[in-house]
Amino acid sequence: MVDVSQASGAEGPAISMKSRLSSYALPIFLIALIAISGIVSPAFLSTSNISNMLLQVAPLGIVVIGQAFVIILRGLDLSVSSVMATAAVIATGFSGQNSDVLSILLVAVGIGIATGLVNGWLVTKRSVSPFLATLATMIVLQGFRFAYTQGAPSGNVPPLFRQIGSATWHGVPYNMMLLVVLAVVFGVVLAKSRFGREVYITGGNPTTARLLGINADRVTIIGYVISGALAAIAGLVLSGYVGIVDNWVGRGFELDSIVAAVMGGISLSGGQGGILGGLFGAAILVVVFNAVLLFGLPVQLQIIIKGMVIVLAAAFYVRRRI
Amino acid sequence: MTALAPIRLSSRLRANQGVLVVAALLVILLIFGAFISDRFRTTSNILNIFEQSTGLALVSLGQTLAILTGGIDLSVGSMISLLSTLTSGLIAGKASMVLPVAIGILLLGLLIGICNGLLIIWLRVHPLIVTLGMSAVLQGIVLLYSLGPAGSVPPGFNFLAYGKVLGLPIGAVFILVLFLLVALFLRYARLGRYIYAVGDDEVGARLMGLPRARVMLTVYGFSGFCCGLAAIYLTSRFSVGQPYTGLNYTLASITPVVVGGTLLSGGKGGVFGTLLGVYLISLLNNVLNFMDVSTHYQLIAQGLIVIAAVSVYVEKKKRV
Repeated sequence: MVDVSQASGAEGPAISMKSRLSSYALPIFLIALIAISGIVSPAFLSTSNISNMLLQVAPLGIVVIGQAFVIILRGLDLSVSSVMATAAVIATGFSGQNSDVLSILLVAVGIGIATGLVNGWLVTKRSVSPFLATLATMIVLQGFRFAYTQGAPSGNVPPLFRQIGSATWHGVPYNMMLLVVLAVVFGVVLAKSRFGREVYITGGNPTTARLLGINADRVTIIGYVISGALAAIAGLVLSGYVGIVDNWVGRGFELDSIVAAVMGGISLSGGQGGILGGLFGAAILVVVFNAVLLFGLPVQLQIIIKGMVIVLAAAFYVRRRI
Repeated sequence: MTALAPIRLSSRLRANQGVLVVAALLVILLIFGAFISDRFRTTSNILNIFEQSTGLALVSLGQTLAILTGGIDLSVGSMISLLSTLTSGLIAGKASMVLPVAIGILLLGLLIGICNGLLIIWLRVHPLIVTLGMSAVLQGIVLLYSLGPAGSVPPGFNFLAYGKVLGLPIGAVFILVLFLLVALFLRYARLGRYIYAVGDDEVGARLMGLPRARVMLTVYGFSGFCCGLAAIYLTSRFSVGQPYTGLNYTLASITPVVVGGTLLSGGKGGVFGTLLGVYLISLLNNVLNFMDVSTHYQLIAQGLIVIAAVSVYVEKKKRV
């Protein structure tokens, strides 16, 4: 392990300068965005709008945490939206009582983990590109979901999910608390644990990782499993937010989560960035979407902005790296 | 050109491997289909398969070139949606508008593709991200233009999709000619060889001074142009364009390429394998239809085929 600490020590200054830069730039950008939106439209800063935005950050944020692991490992997970929708469909697949919550959670997270295992296996053992592997599992899962629901899911979400997904405690949404807990747990794992260090080294340079005796394949597979499991949890939270479940709950989250992560400084070339940056990216995205609606601009503009932001953010970080 | 000779030999070998496997599967499916249904064997059903495959073949052709350079074009789905909606929206039922709009759509497709290429060159961002972003932008634009089916086309417009020359579907004949031309271009034109060279070893290609920018512009421009062709064809077939016409074509266009033996890492493969891949997918869907398998399971089948194909070809690459 001496080698590992040396390696991370050598990378230290570069990473800390970059992270210092992004850790200041992102909050400043977010605050400026909120201030400008508040000036343009006073309704933006109303209590109801702010708590509405907070409610929307959590499902995206939870997905971004998982996406962060995968992207730092030089991958990318497109199957998250399909996992989310499948989890949501499962949430309504029981009697809709609180007594089902544990079984729903187990089944949903189980499917998320299984999807992550397949993704990780394809990427590591079969050398399939992450994009194609996760796209294929997304499609397969979607097919199974449609076949299972016969096109029209029905049934109710248990009240507990409704509460976690859409209720607040003294103005703080429950799902926000869940996000904070998950972010702290996985943030510590990524930043402080041995596994986290292995994630950065494997993502930074898989060959180096192997030479250091790190089981790069195992680390990568675990990364995809984390992403799948968190996507399942996010799907359950989102089902509680929207209340009505259809086959497309979470549609667009695959792109949103990647955009948020890239905007937050998690480089698609791997080995860089952290969970906090990704969460700031998610918050910025939610604020921008909200502002688009509040300013009375056409909702389609959200999609266009998303598309431009991902390219520009990627270009921004690429330029800085070179 | 001597420096390019080894690439050419190995790529031909690779393409042939894929072609053989897919050709064998095609024959098996044909025999299987003939057993399960009498109607499968009719000429009209075979022509039907060719008709259904034309749109997919057009998009996959452009996609093949993008993948050969080691890139990918994820904007094809949204591009088809946009161009197809614009086709019927701008023609708006007037026969006099057909030709100008068709030319305009092809140029617009070319232009969007060139934009992809320019962004890839200038921003130095992976094509995956550039075209993913472009895809979102185009989807937003088409939804700004129309939220549902737009405009209409004059009655004769469906000639492109259902018309026949010498008893053969016009689209299928066009496809064969176009694929042949592109195959010849890839094999004999200097720029065609550069496409393989850039995909095979980007750094090496740059050190040799090959014009990467021109390759990228050609490849993504051509992919956009193919989307224009596909959009016009699909509008002719469905007689109207709507903002989600192309939704499934992004994955669908990649499937035949990888099934046909073109490696996603670039530099290996060819359009002939892609054409067989297109026919294989169309034939499979046709057979599944005759077996009364629901479209949900057809979706699953498609995902599994992709996984199987990429796994198989990767293993071959490792062994060689």
